[in-house]
Amino acid sequence: MDVQIRRMGIALMVLFGLLFAQLNNLQLLQAGRLSNDPRNTRAIVIDFSRERGRILAADGTVLADSVPTDDELKRLRRYPEGPLYSPVLGYFSFNFGSDGVEREFSAELAGRKVTINNLDDLLSATPRTNDVTLTIQPAVQKAAAAALGNRRGAVVALDPRSGAVLAMVSFPTFDPNTLAAHDLKAVQRAWAGYQADPAKPMLPRPYRERYSPGSTFKVVTASAAIGTRPDLAAKSYPPTKALDLKGTSRDLPNFGGSTCGGTLPDLLRVSCNTGFGQLGLDLGGQALRDEALSFGWDERPPLDLPAPAASGFPGISELRTQPQVATSAIGQLDVTASPLQMALVSSAVANGGTIVQPHVLSRVTDMQGQVVRTAETKAWKQPMTAEDASRLKDLMVGVVQQGTAGRAAVPGVSVAAKTGTAQTTGDKAHAWITAFAPAAEPTVAVAVVVESQPGVTEATGGTIAAPIAQAVLKAALG
Amino acid sequence: MTAAAQPPRRRTELGLVLLVGLVTVGSLTLASLGKVGEPPTGLLGFAGVMVALLVTAHLAVRRLAPNADPIILPVALMLNGLGYTMITRLDSDLAALQATWTAVGVAAFAGTLLLVRRARDLERYRYSFLALGLVLLLLPLLPGLGRNINGARIWIRLGPIGFQPGELAKIVLAIFFASYLVERRELLGDRIRVGFLRLPRPRLRVLLPLLAAWGVSIVVMVAERDLGSSLLFFGLFVGLLWLATGQPAYLLGGAALFALAASFAYRMFDHVQTRVEVWLDPWSTAQGKGYQIVQSMFAFGSGGVTGSGLALGSPQRIPAAATDFIFAAIGEEIGLLGTTAVLVGFLLVIGSGLRIALRTDHPFEKLLAAGLTLVLGLQTFIIVGGVTRVVPLTGITLPFVSYGGSSLVANYILIALLLRISDQRDRPHPRGG
Repeated sequence: MDVQIRRMGIALMVLFGLLFAQLNNLQLLQAGRLSNDPRNTRAIVIDFSRERGRILAADGTVLADSVPTDDELKRLRRYPEGPLYSPVLGYFSFNFGSDGVEREFSAELAGRKVTINNLDDLLSATPRTNDVTLTIQPAVQKAAAAALGNRRGAVVALDPRSGAVLAMVSFPTFDPNTLAAHDLKAVQRAWAGYQADPAKPMLPRPYRERYSPGSTFKVVTASAAIGTRPDLAAKSYPPTKALDLKGTSRDLPNFGGSTCGGTLPDLLRVSCNTGFGQLGLDLGGQALRDEALSFGWDERPPLDLPAPAASGFPGISELRTQPQVATSAIGQLDVTASPLQMALVSSAVANGGTIVQPHVLSRVTDMQGQVVRTAETKAWKQPMTAEDASRLKDLMVGVVQQGTAGRAAVPGVSVAAKTGTAQTTGDKAHAWITAFAPAAEPTVAVAVVVESQPGVTEATGGTIAAPIAQAVLKAALG
Repeated sequence: MTAAAQPPRRRTELGLVLLVGLVTVGSLTLASLGKVGEPPTGLLGFAGVMVALLVTAHLAVRRLAPNADPIILPVALMLNGLGYTMITRLDSDLAALQATWTAVGVAAFAGTLLLVRRARDLERYRYSFLALGLVLLLLPLLPGLGRNINGARIWIRLGPIGFQPGELAKIVLAIFFASYLVERRELLGDRIRVGFLRLPRPRLRVLLPLLAAWGVSIVVMVAERDLGSSLLFFGLFVGLLWLATGQPAYLLGGAALFALAASFAYRMFDHVQTRVEVWLDPWSTAQGKGYQIVQSMFAFGSGGVTGSGLALGSPQRIPAAATDFIFAAIGEEIGLLGTTAVLVGFLLVIGSGLRIALRTDHPFEKLLAAGLTLVLGLQTFIIVGGVTRVVPLTGITLPFVSYGGSSLVANYILIALLLRISDQRDRPHPRGG
């Protein structure tokens, strides 16, 4: 029998070997995947019941804090300002996880990223939460929200020198308090309501939605001409009503059947579709695409919020025909841009040709008020030289002084801008503007989009979006 | 003098038992700190009672089986203590019951050592044990006495006390089979030549009880819907048959019968199909049928190497966390280090059990020790393999760790028998010549 007993021992060892192998597989190799699986809500339960730091605006306004409760979830997350900051803050929900700053900086807020310097840190019973201070300025945020009102759209304002985001507004939006509540059934109802709403209130439009940028994209086309083809930048395009395109029965017309032409400053001022269409054809698809990519198209902006959308520019295989190239040059067809991206276009022009990484984080401070982390200023893209940026800036100042963006003008300040009207369906269009000020030493760049406005004329961007930009610039310039 | 060899073994055991007390009090304190931020109320009183219980078990061995193996009892107590800590952290009502059952288990442990002075004497009552085993196994099927809980009819209820008689049946039947097979192993070991194969001579009359046992385990599986226990019984029967005879043909035959029964069960029963489906792919039904096993995977993954810390994870999300899935709860809160320690603990008991089987020279005791060790090892593999998705889940308890009075009492009796056998082997006794 002893032989069998020894063999049985070996067999049991083999079976236990399988268990050890699987345990190492689950708890070591796959541990990361399993603990981060979105269906695994353990992390959120832990975060939910522990203390969590505050989120503050640049001026110290409390945007989010946690208060103790008597129920089993122990702490309630509150957002004293309601829906105003939700496009930036996101939400923090037991049922539905988190988004925005609450997600991106969850480790800092919950105090999980703690450097342990000594035994005392390790044994200390009090959780070390951190406060997260944002670059968002309540005055600018409020002005932007008020100016946008209850029209669907988005506003982004940032400091072109540092990349600090000053305001991010989205309408419609949601109240993060409704998702942080402890009545889980009510949270479920609120969530379902938001999800079912065709206006997509949960969508942070400023950085996660993409629109056809329309004529605001002409800044990029103009930059391509200035930077790579001085001959085209100086060329005078004959006035015409419509551009005759090879390979299609349809021409590329100007909005409202108007006639326009001239050199680059004229074309930009009145946002001349026929002129820019021809300029695009002269530049060629490859040059246009290169220019767009140098501004950050086809890439997720390095914003410190979850899943910023990459703006899209057609691949070279979709730029083979004249209609494709000409319409792409005026920001239509398959060109898309997030409001953030259009603010970054302005910020490139404003900041001597360099796009600085946009960020909402100002600093992380620990419980003793010591700064443990600050946002760094890092260059992201350099689409043009300082000299070319200065030339383009002059053209954009012209758009405000004598062109379509007159309503963006702020008394006593030189504003640079470009409007846009992106036709969507039928007689609806997105009204756009991208702007910055003061032109001499810019401190704020802004992009505004208002969705699906009636009336497709080149003036739509100027009449609807420009006043919003003006309000934001005023607030930012104090 | 051999007597001089006695104290070191018991001293080792006492030292280990006191260490168990220390570790258990420590882990209970940590769990309480994790749960409510302060040490458990009445910790000192509780620690006193617990140490008294531990020392009682030790003294029972010292008095009744002074030469017994010194490892098995401390490891079993350690597993019991860790399980109790997890149950406390999951459900304080269950913890109070488990504490009571632990006391009953230790009493049963001492009682077994007291009543069974020589393991070989059990041989005499083999048919009584057979009858007792069958009665215990089929008891839950009696109307009025049996209870359906979570779809399995493995409970009986007498007044306020619920019990799973199948847990005891596995030991009782192991005794019967060991004695029955030892007597007939010569007959069963006979081989005949069929062509170039050497096969066991088929002796129907001898094999009949084994086929009956197989039939009983099928009945258990079908009528009581208890897959885990029937798997365990079947593994035990086939294992003992092979241990006794050394005939691989019995293993192959057993595997064939198992395959037959398994495919039959798979076709006939929805719950068997479900178990296999969620074993192969729990993820597509993560919110439905696969929920339990997916939560178990998440628990192991979230625990990682070091675990969340006692009472700092969320193992309560796994249905049946205190019973079948307690190993996943351990995985989440004390991590890979903890699960490895638990498995190593079981391996220590298994190793000691096999050593006892090898050292004893009485065939019945040898087979019984090996069989009891097999039960423990197999049961651990079935449930740990089930919650870690190595094999389809069949709910049974993790010995000493899971919540469950019957399981606890039965396993304490099991190790008492092992200790009894090891004590007899090592106790100096007059030999012929």
